[in-house]
Amino acid sequence: MIISKKVIRKKNLKEKVAFNIFRVFSAIVVLSLIAILSFIIYNGISVINWNFLTQMPEDGMTKGGIYPAIIGTLCLVAGSMIFAIPIGVLSGIYINEYTKDSWYKRFIKLMTNNLAGIPSIVFGLFGMSLFVNTLGFGDSIIAGSLTLGLMVLPVVIRTTEEALKSVDNSFRHGSLALGATKLQTVRKVVLPMAFPNIITGIILSVGRVSGETAPILFTVAAYFLPKLPSSIFDQVMALPYHLYVISTSGTNVEASRPIAYGTAMVLIGFVLIVNLLANALRKYFGKKVKMN
Amino acid sequence: MKTKITTVLIIVTLISISAYSQNVVNLKIKGSDTVLPLSQKEAETFMKKNKSAKITVTGGGSGVGIAAFVDGSTDIAMASRKMKMSEKLKLQDAGKAYKEVVIANDALSVIVNPANKVSQLTREQIEGIFTGKIKNWKEVGGDDEKIVVYSRESSSGTYEFFKEHVLNNKNYGTSILMMPATGAMVQSVSQTKGAIGYIGFAYMEKNVKALKISYDKGKTFIEPNVINAKNKTYPVVRPLYYYYLTKDAAKVKTFIDYILSEEGQKVVNEVGYISLK
Repeated sequence: MIISKKVIRKKNLKEKVAFNIFRVFSAIVVLSLIAILSFIIYNGISVINWNFLTQMPEDGMTKGGIYPAIIGTLCLVAGSMIFAIPIGVLSGIYINEYTKDSWYKRFIKLMTNNLAGIPSIVFGLFGMSLFVNTLGFGDSIIAGSLTLGLMVLPVVIRTTEEALKSVDNSFRHGSLALGATKLQTVRKVVLPMAFPNIITGIILSVGRVSGETAPILFTVAAYFLPKLPSSIFDQVMALPYHLYVISTSGTNVEASRPIAYGTAMVLIGFVLIVNLLANALRKYFGKKVKMN
Repeated sequence: MKTKITTVLIIVTLISISAYSQNVVNLKIKGSDTVLPLSQKEAETFMKKNKSAKITVTGGGSGVGIAAFVDGSTDIAMASRKMKMSEKLKLQDAGKAYKEVVIANDALSVIVNPANKVSQLTREQIEGIFTGKIKNWKEVGGDDEKIVVYSRESSSGTYEFFKEHVLNNKNYGTSILMMPATGAMVQSVSQTKGAIGYIGFAYMEKNVKALKISYDKGKTFIEPNVINAKNKTYPVVRPLYYYYLTKDAAKVKTFIDYILSEEGQKVVNEVGYISLK
């Protein structure tokens, strides 16, 4: 059968148009990212120096550094991960490896998906009423960490589940055929192979935890506390909340503007480093698995 | 490896809990956004003198602060209004006795965009604007420009005070815009030509204009400034409060004494409020 040149030309033209549309849209994504980043770097780079990163805020938070906010954010990330990683990974394993496709599994999955769709401010209010008031933790690192942990729990569960799903069944069958128990199979065969992807999910949730303001608003964040936390029942300053307050509160918003840009830059830098780390770790562990 | 990490975590937790029980000046202050910059500066200067002290300052509004105070999750509630009867009853029910301290005064100022021709209003006109009866600046002697009314949200003490003392307890109009923080209100008013709003005196900046106010139906218009506020000729001067539990008196004494001292009152002036003496 001979296809006329006209038809071919028409097809190629359509393809070109479609390609260019895709290209334009992806360019919009990249360009807007570049625009935001360069805007913040342009405004913030001048205030970033060693003192800014290691000193306490001074003079009504218009001078000095953001050291306590950085440490506070690190505390919250650590705290929420201690909570979210074990529960999330274990539930993910349970859902993918141990449950049969029953109404119970579907129910858990449905609930996990719903949990993922809840706005973060709702988590904040829930955390306030449960951890701060009912359990009596007060505004504290532990209340904030648990709230943030709850918020990223679905992310950890879902990535664990997906990671386990991508491990081919033949590995499981092989392991079981050699006489290994189910637990041994999961521990020694499935989990190591899924590990790189699980790590990626966890680190992405670290990025999310470090950038959220709403959940910490009522559970942990302090407007001003130029001291490092000495216990898990202390309040802390945190980068996203600090950014929010110095750009909306304070008697001299204009004077603290450079600090706001600096804080934004540190926050974005932190998330960027975390994401790069996720990539590097995935590659590292991915190689390790292949070699074994 | 995993067990090691767990052990370390448990040890860290135990250490931190034991550190918590040690006795140091550790105060939590929460509440009014109006008082927030003042408390922040007082805490900053206080902690410079007393290195071991640890004072946490959090905003949220007078209502939030007093609610936290009733819950017991803050040591001091800062408020830009007096405690309400319902809040007092809650404390009474919980069997908690409290003390009230006035730490400074504030001249509540009505602000407009600097481009606005209007520079003075009577209380009745302000009431008309904020209740929604007056909708255009030309009705009060300005340009033909729609009035954009900004207010704080209902958990704010300034919101309550303004309603009681300026609006004669009438309700705010339905078309007002609620701002979550005073700083945000200043910014919005400085960027919107027909805007009007109200702020604590310390928040006054060059990019907004304070209105002269008349409480005697237009005979005298008084400008909000330190002198007029001190001799009480400016009609909307209000005290700023700290609330604390009687049983915590010893704990909060050093800090409150510091604020009431000459040095602390100097900070009040620096921040932009009106000192007590």
